[in-house]
Amino acid sequence: MTTALTTISSKAPQAGVDLLRIVRINEEIKSVVGVAFKINIMALNAIFLAKRAGTAARGFGVLSNELRVFSQDLRDCMGALTGLIHGCVNEVSLVLQDIRHTRLLRQAAEMSPKSQAVPVLRAREIENDRHTQRLASLRKQLKRALEDAFQMVELGGVLAKSAKIEAAYGQSFAVPLAQVSGEFDNIVEEIRTSLESLRRSAFFTGN
Amino acid sequence: MKTTKTIFQEGNHKWIAIVRDPEKPNYLIDTNEYLVTHGGQGLLIDPGGAEIFPAVFSALSSEFDPSALAGIFASHQDPDICSSLALWLEFNPKMRCHVSWLWGSFIPHFGGTAETFTMIPDEGSDLSLDGLMLRAVPAHYLHSSGNFNLYDKVAKVMFSGDIGAALLPPGEDSLFVENFDSHIRHAEGFHRRWMGSNEAKRRWCERVSQMEIDMLCPQHGAIYQGADVQRFINWFDELQVGIVSG
Repeated sequence: MTTALTTISSKAPQAGVDLLRIVRINEEIKSVVGVAFKINIMALNAIFLAKRAGTAARGFGVLSNELRVFSQDLRDCMGALTGLIHGCVNEVSLVLQDIRHTRLLRQAAEMSPKSQAVPVLRAREIENDRHTQRLASLRKQLKRALEDAFQMVELGGVLAKSAKIEAAYGQSFAVPLAQVSGEFDNIVEEIRTSLESLRRSAFFTGN
Repeated sequence: MKTTKTIFQEGNHKWIAIVRDPEKPNYLIDTNEYLVTHGGQGLLIDPGGAEIFPAVFSALSSEFDPSALAGIFASHQDPDICSSLALWLEFNPKMRCHVSWLWGSFIPHFGGTAETFTMIPDEGSDLSLDGLMLRAVPAHYLHSSGNFNLYDKVAKVMFSGDIGAALLPPGEDSLFVENFDSHIRHAEGFHRRWMGSNEAKRRWCERVSQMEIDMLCPQHGAIYQGADVQRFINWFDELQVGIVSG
């Protein structure tokens, strides 16, 4: 008897749960991508503000340039995450389709007197395994990409905090610089919290 | 599991009805599938929905090697007609599905590739099954807007799709119509509601009256044979269709 005959019934609810989890991760990533776009605009404003402040905000200017580079890197990273999550949604959908087909083929094999369905069921099982392996690979890639994003955001947090310190040396521009760097810090913290919850998703931990 | 009944046989030329599954859940409409075999090839007519695939497959495979199916004939696009298509293609990916051109880009949603489909033009066409010519007879708007029956001139058997269908009550499950008058009561509501055009119905009745038909085989209900075939055509000709009561 093929593995498909024995394990397919337990796979069905798991695939449904996985799809639900991926949809939630996708929604969270969409909101992070939106926030990352906001950071890009903020970094641009911070650069202009630092230029206006001149020598008094030279340190802040260096950091705002770094924050702009960070925001672009973050957008690229989110783009890669979105691509991976779409890949996962597609694979889980295929796994769900496989499960239905396999269930019906299994019933056919069980009911057929001459078991003509068995070779087709085996071929289906190989195809199922291929989809399952591809999903497992995408899941690993997504986990790694999330870790990379998290590390990047940690760096962003350090930059934002340093910008807050530099803002204090901005003389007459100290207040607007502090406001900009504070907003930066809040947004980076918001992204960090989102990514932290994504890392804990049962889709990765397997609970 | 469904049962198979050979309704015509002449050498290796056979019509096999795949019917009546006592284990089928009631929420699924009961359907009849038909297998035509000739030479070493088989053509499955309206193979049914995905959920009844195991029952149809197991019944069919008791009579015929499913990997030797050359094709599927889909009378129209409904899910009870051919939503099992992808599963049948697993057995023979080269199998062709013959269907009205109108549904040529709709039915692939059930499965298959561009190579799977042979489009039947509105006026109908001939299909060859190892040299046996079967005729796709137009039955548009009865009920689907792109709809075909399948006629076997040699066997004098006409697969009529939803035309002639009857929703039989529990217990009345004989394969052939036994008492036309009592049977047709189970067909009347179905035809009034599902058949959309009196004009199309008129043309169909005229067309099939001129054909030699020993058996009229619908996709639901019982098969009309002998004098009941013409009796049905006359009854249908008189019926006003395209009506919603209430």
